[in-house]
Amino acid sequence: MTRRTRSALVCAAIAALAVTAVAACGSSSKGGGGDTPKTGGTLTIQAGDSGNPTLVEDFNPFQASTTGLHGTFLLYEPLEFRSPIDGSFTPFVATGHKFTDPKTLVFTIRQGVKWSDGKDLTSADVLFTFNLLKKFPALDTNGIWAQVASVAASGNDFTVTFKAPNVPFAGVVAKTLIVPEHAWSSIPDPTKFTNNTPVGSGPFTLDKFAPTQYSMKKNPSYWQAAKIAPSEVLFPAPATNQNTNQLDVTSGKFDWSYTFLPNVQKTYVSRDPKHNVYWFPPGGVITLYLNLTKAPYSDANFRKGVSLALDRTTIAAKAVNGYLDAGSQSGMILPNLKKWLDPSLPDQGIVKQDPTAAQAAFAQAGYTSQGGKLVGKNGKQATMSIVMPNNFSDWVAAAKEVANQLGKVGIKVSLDLPQYAQYSSSTQAGTFDAAMGGFGGTGDPYTDFNNALNSSFAAPVNKPTANNFERFKDPTVDQALATLAAATDPGAQSQATYTLEHVMYDKVPVVLMYYGGSWGLFSTKNFTGWPSADNPYTLPTSYDNSLLLVVTHLIKS
Amino acid sequence: MRYLVRKTGVFAVTLWAAITLNFVLPRLMPGSPVDAALGKLASSGVPITNAQRRAVEIELGVPHTSWFTQYWDYLKNLVQFKFGKSYSFPTETVAHSISNALPWTLVLVGATTIFAFVVGTLLGVFAGWRRGTVADSSVTLGATFFAAFPPFWLGLLLLYFLAFKYGWFPIKGGYAEGTSPNLSASFLGDAFKHSVLPALTLAITTLSGWVFGMRNNMINTLGEDYVTFAEANGLRTRTVALLYAARNALLPNVTAFGLSLGAVVGGSVLVEGVFSYPGLGNLLYIAVANHDFPLMQALFLVITVSMLVAIFIVDLLYVRLDPRVRRA
Amino acid sequence: MTIITAVPPPQAPGDAALIPLGSSRFVPGPLRFLGRALRTLWSNGKARIGLVVLSLIILVAIFAPLIAPHSPTATSFTPYLDPSGDNWFGTTGNGQDVFSQMVYGSRVSLLVGLSAGVIATLVAMTLGLIAGYRPGVIDEVLSFVTNLTLVIPGIPLMIILAAYIQSRSVWTIIFVVAFTSWATGARVIRSQASTLRAREFVTSAVFSGERLFRVVFREILPNMTSLVAASFFSAATAAVMAQASLEFLGLGDPNTVSWGTILHDAEQQSALLTGQWVIAFAPGLAIALLAMSFTLINFGVDALSNPRLREK
Repeated sequence: MTRRTRSALVCAAIAALAVTAVAACGSSSKGGGGDTPKTGGTLTIQAGDSGNPTLVEDFNPFQASTTGLHGTFLLYEPLEFRSPIDGSFTPFVATGHKFTDPKTLVFTIRQGVKWSDGKDLTSADVLFTFNLLKKFPALDTNGIWAQVASVAASGNDFTVTFKAPNVPFAGVVAKTLIVPEHAWSSIPDPTKFTNNTPVGSGPFTLDKFAPTQYSMKKNPSYWQAAKIAPSEVLFPAPATNQNTNQLDVTSGKFDWSYTFLPNVQKTYVSRDPKHNVYWFPPGGVITLYLNLTKAPYSDANFRKGVSLALDRTTIAAKAVNGYLDAGSQSGMILPNLKKWLDPSLPDQGIVKQDPTAAQAAFAQAGYTSQGGKLVGKNGKQATMSIVMPNNFSDWVAAAKEVANQLGKVGIKVSLDLPQYAQYSSSTQAGTFDAAMGGFGGTGDPYTDFNNALNSSFAAPVNKPTANNFERFKDPTVDQALATLAAATDPGAQSQATYTLEHVMYDKVPVVLMYYGGSWGLFSTKNFTGWPSADNPYTLPTSYDNSLLLVVTHLIKS
Repeated sequence: MRYLVRKTGVFAVTLWAAITLNFVLPRLMPGSPVDAALGKLASSGVPITNAQRRAVEIELGVPHTSWFTQYWDYLKNLVQFKFGKSYSFPTETVAHSISNALPWTLVLVGATTIFAFVVGTLLGVFAGWRRGTVADSSVTLGATFFAAFPPFWLGLLLLYFLAFKYGWFPIKGGYAEGTSPNLSASFLGDAFKHSVLPALTLAITTLSGWVFGMRNNMINTLGEDYVTFAEANGLRTRTVALLYAARNALLPNVTAFGLSLGAVVGGSVLVEGVFSYPGLGNLLYIAVANHDFPLMQALFLVITVSMLVAIFIVDLLYVRLDPRVRRA
Repeated sequence: MTIITAVPPPQAPGDAALIPLGSSRFVPGPLRFLGRALRTLWSNGKARIGLVVLSLIILVAIFAPLIAPHSPTATSFTPYLDPSGDNWFGTTGNGQDVFSQMVYGSRVSLLVGLSAGVIATLVAMTLGLIAGYRPGVIDEVLSFVTNLTLVIPGIPLMIILAAYIQSRSVWTIIFVVAFTSWATGARVIRSQASTLRAREFVTSAVFSGERLFRVVFREILPNMTSLVAASFFSAATAAVMAQASLEFLGLGDPNTVSWGTILHDAEQQSALLTGQWVIAFAPGLAIALLAMSFTLINFGVDALSNPRLREK
């Protein structure tokens, strides 16, 4: 019964769009060949879609980063793309943006952009999209309307007015994928809409969907079609288990995949030394969250002791094979955010293992070493239970090493490895002792610090929060965050960022340990121009909007 | 007749209890479906924001009502065969997910069960008939050894050597990438190729149960007076073994076969997982991992009901086949 | 009287002990009985292999500190080493010595297999005996619970239970595994007990005024020793397998090392991909050997109770 109703609906949708679809197909055969010789070829991407082992058709762009298919990022375009590496912007639907005051953000909408059905993209479509997010909060996965008071369009200008000054939020507003009003205004419930015949402005259009793979064809009317090398993109479904995915990746069928591989030189590069390359830039900092509502973690000296007791380089070697190094306690991902780093911090804020200093810090917190045990004033040994999801293998490996190292200073550490959902509820509710987690990775210091340290996220224990698990509260931090949010002048931005870095370094609200990698594996057999250390235009993440940026950089080999 | 009525009554009560248990069990798990859905995002290293959490919460529509209200709704929907939407695949109905996966499991596990039963029983007859010989010892020892393999481990090894290293079989899935299920010869051939390794894993690890059962039954039946009598009357040994002993020894094995056919629907969670097979076992694992209450409830229902029905039928059959039971 | 009257047919060695024995009232003293049982087991070739394998594993577990060259948890080696003279099975991605882990792992694997086997058998015995001896409402209720446990799919049930019990320790695993492996034994014991109930010696005991527990444990139980032993070995086999599955899924106790957790780590650290197939192969084989030894011993237990199954 349910099935029949569903198919009938899909048929209706196809009928409604049939005319335009045929038109799009017709022009495709004309535009493909000609002007640029170095184009064509099939690009195969392992995009880590969920729904394995068989995919569920869902090209709803508002669910692309949550439950939808990730290939959707090639069907639609954002206003602008903010690099998760250094926060720089690449324009797409908008040609640029400026703040007329810290609360008012104006985007200029590009002219001459067409939807894949041939209609023009205008600022009305942009306005429609943002109003759609307001009407259906389930679509607003970036929480735009929690910050934005109103939006307006006039001519080529699209104006966003914030509730409070929030300059760094421009990046979040800019990454909203824009949908055509003419195709979406008639959809009664876009939250349940699976968009099986998508009309977008992106470089590709949907070709075929099968439960094990979907494919896309180049959109010949794309506004920068000349920059798009592949004529076809394939997205095969991933395997249920991680091991099989790794085997699949090394079998050489993908041009681009995103997977951690141990000993990558042997397991990947050596399988095709001429073409197989990898780039594992830092994508965030893997962190030990200590619950600040519990003693002794509430004592900054104790946290400092923990931080000083850790040999971060060894932890990184064990966790991520040494692909990445120890992280800076400043909160800045290096070298990505080097321009924001306070030069007054010693060693770029990287804390070295120092057992003597650690014992001194513990002593200040009232803990002394007695017969190899770190004992508090109450005569009890310090203990710590570290929670992490059981399938995050690098976190588990890191935690085992942390347990080893903290064991040496006399803390009794045990590991707790539940499934993700249980881990998540215990960190969010604040019922943990210590937890492995991620920090940063947005490319924007404000957002990184705000998520981790803003006291407004520090909900009471047992009340869930998705940010600031450790429940840090500090008026200096809140003040600096507010200043940073409103600052449009680089000097003021730097000063506020330095303040936050110092709090991070001195008070150790979270123990930053090592850089979590972004595991890009590429083959240069069919295409070159992949992001790399020499040309770090974005992270090699194949499951988000980096897809769009990468396909606009590819060159046919 | 009274026997039948009582059986049916007990069946109904057990069914209700199983349905209730199916409702309660998933809800015992700590952590919410929203957390589980966000876990997929977080596994890529992206910090989850409160905004994303809220959006996913609304999208999944996880109920905030009391367990009692949920239970009442669950029973009401069950009667109308409405299973609702799944949390793991928010755009799919549970019924759709299950009907997509069911055929794969039925064919794979069903065919393997039948194959293991036939081959295992034959081997058991042979071993029992030739008991004490080298052939008997090798069959029993071999079966014992293979039965002790953890199925997922055997699957992993087969996958690594036969699929990855030598490339004789596909590495994952139920059919080739880019194809959709249909009944064309090429698709069926391809699906067959994908099913060889999981089927082999299941067959090797389940074969031995039938071997042991049949061997013991054979040995017992061969010791019965009527067999000795038949032999004394000059019938050939092979005739005795096959016609008299094996036929009678088969009875208990056939009922066990009925039960294992009931269990087919449950699929094999770990083996299907290892081979990324698009069957019910895999779906069940996804449902559990995602705290997908609607999907879990429906899958548990399908599995428990088919087990109960199989047990019920076996019970009834047993009465027909063996009148002694009725008196017990 | 019960939902399922049909006696479950022999499926595995051990179930054969069901076949009614021409049992008498004679119950030998426990030590003499044990000695005789061991002799009979030893005289059975298959059981002999099983006893030898099991004894070897037990010896390894007892003398683990003497056998293992390194600590099983120390992360002091270079990760992902191939087998060498120092690290016989290579090292894990964390830099632990896999051979030492295998040696120490035998302790937890044995402990869980045997303890869960004992617990499951005790539960099965208690419920089975009571249900078999007390027909009517008690039997109906107990059989109902047994059947319910049988029809809920095992692995999902284990995952849910393991998630429900928040603090994970070896005892959690033992409990979860025992919980999912008692039902088959209970059914077998129940049907045997209900046959015995009708025997003269039980009837006479009842008429002479003995109480329920006395009748059940003094009159019925001693006549089912081999059946209980068989249930134990079947339950222990099931427990070893269930433990392996649970730990393979990453739901084991992360603070101990067992064969299942080694296998899980091997999978998580892509041992096959790095070509370290020994790390994936060894723990699986060890689990298989342990499970096999239980099954082989059960062949001997069968022969104990059923003379027809004795080797000629």
